[in-house]
Amino acid sequence: MMLRRIRTSTSIAAVVAATLWLTTADATTQQPASNGNVATPRTADGKVDFSGMWVGTGGGDLKPDESGNITVLSRGRPCHPGQECKPAINFERDSGVRQRMNPNLPRYKPEHWARVEDLDVNGNFKDPEIKCYPAGLPRMGAPGKIVQTPTELIFLYASHNTFRVIPIDGRDHDPIRSQDLLYYGDSIGKWEGDTLVIDSVGFTDETWLAWPGYFHTNNMRVVERLTRQGNTLTWQATVHDPEVLMEPWTMNPVRRNLNPNPKALLVEDLPCESRDSAHIVTRERG
Amino acid sequence: MKPWTACSVLAAVVLALSTAPPAVAHHAIQAEYEMGQTKGFTGVMTRFAMINPHCRWFFEETKADGTKVTWEMSGAGPQALRAAGLVRIFQIGQPYEVTFAPAKNGANVGRVRTMKGPDGKVITLFHEDPTDPLNN
Repeated sequence: MMLRRIRTSTSIAAVVAATLWLTTADATTQQPASNGNVATPRTADGKVDFSGMWVGTGGGDLKPDESGNITVLSRGRPCHPGQECKPAINFERDSGVRQRMNPNLPRYKPEHWARVEDLDVNGNFKDPEIKCYPAGLPRMGAPGKIVQTPTELIFLYASHNTFRVIPIDGRDHDPIRSQDLLYYGDSIGKWEGDTLVIDSVGFTDETWLAWPGYFHTNNMRVVERLTRQGNTLTWQATVHDPEVLMEPWTMNPVRRNLNPNPKALLVEDLPCESRDSAHIVTRERG
Repeated sequence: MKPWTACSVLAAVVLALSTAPPAVAHHAIQAEYEMGQTKGFTGVMTRFAMINPHCRWFFEETKADGTKVTWEMSGAGPQALRAAGLVRIFQIGQPYEVTFAPAKNGANVGRVRTMKGPDGKVITLFHEDPTDPLNN
């Protein structure tokens, strides 16, 4: 039993390491891969080429035990004496604490503090993602795959089968779409040297900026900055919402490594059904 | 890929994904389930739903007096299942012995711990008991 668990844990560790290497990483917790010897790809017109798959696809090679049974138990830390101690409790509570450990917070005007607190405390019932709403920009984060043409960038996201088409031909915002109520906004991209700067407006106010109840208005503007060094992509978003924020909020940069598997694909996402909501009975988040 | 190998891959992927920095909404599992309790039933799997944010397995249990009870079990996310090629290993219409952490609100809903299928093999997908010395 013990030996099987050890084997399983060892294999899991390898898969975890491989998956994390390929998937999202907060720049504050992961340094970019050593790409010093990898030239940054460029298109025929000399622009940085962001094309590529920027997420992993999972996988691994764990084996069943000699009886064909599979036992995989998610790890959690032990409990302190006197602490409530049940499976997953610490795992989930650690997650909740971790979500609040980021010192980079949006600074709301004082008259909005009570609303943020209410949304946070009641997040199990009010978080739009719990209700299967799209995350929206910027909560959706960096794209999983990018297709670049001379006039457009196409961002593909695994979650919710989401795509964004971002013109980079120098046009301004569309006067109709920029007044729409969109989850991903009306986006246009412009080059600042080797950085692609994406400006998005025209948002619904039904999404959050992040898990702790950070709301925004439908007059929000999001500016994303995209850079590539070798095979490392860096994505960073700044939220401008002067109706509720005291100052623009620049989120932590996210770095992703290029998926080197030429056969890696984004597969379609499946529908979301909010079946948990009817059974959540406490406010504890995690 | 053999089904059981695929199943183990699923579990690893589930863990890997759950270990990654959180990017999506999440609620504490203890807000919904009594994680320190274990209940069980034997029922026929009637539906396997590949839906976000958690896959669902539906069962119908027939009590000794002939009455029918339906159960809904929650587990891993569908992307993890698919990445491991595990979509078709569950056998609709076949009996399963299921153990689970029950819903706090008393509904016939649970967080699945184990499923023992008609071939006698057991899938265990849960969280370690932090009081178990083997886990520390």
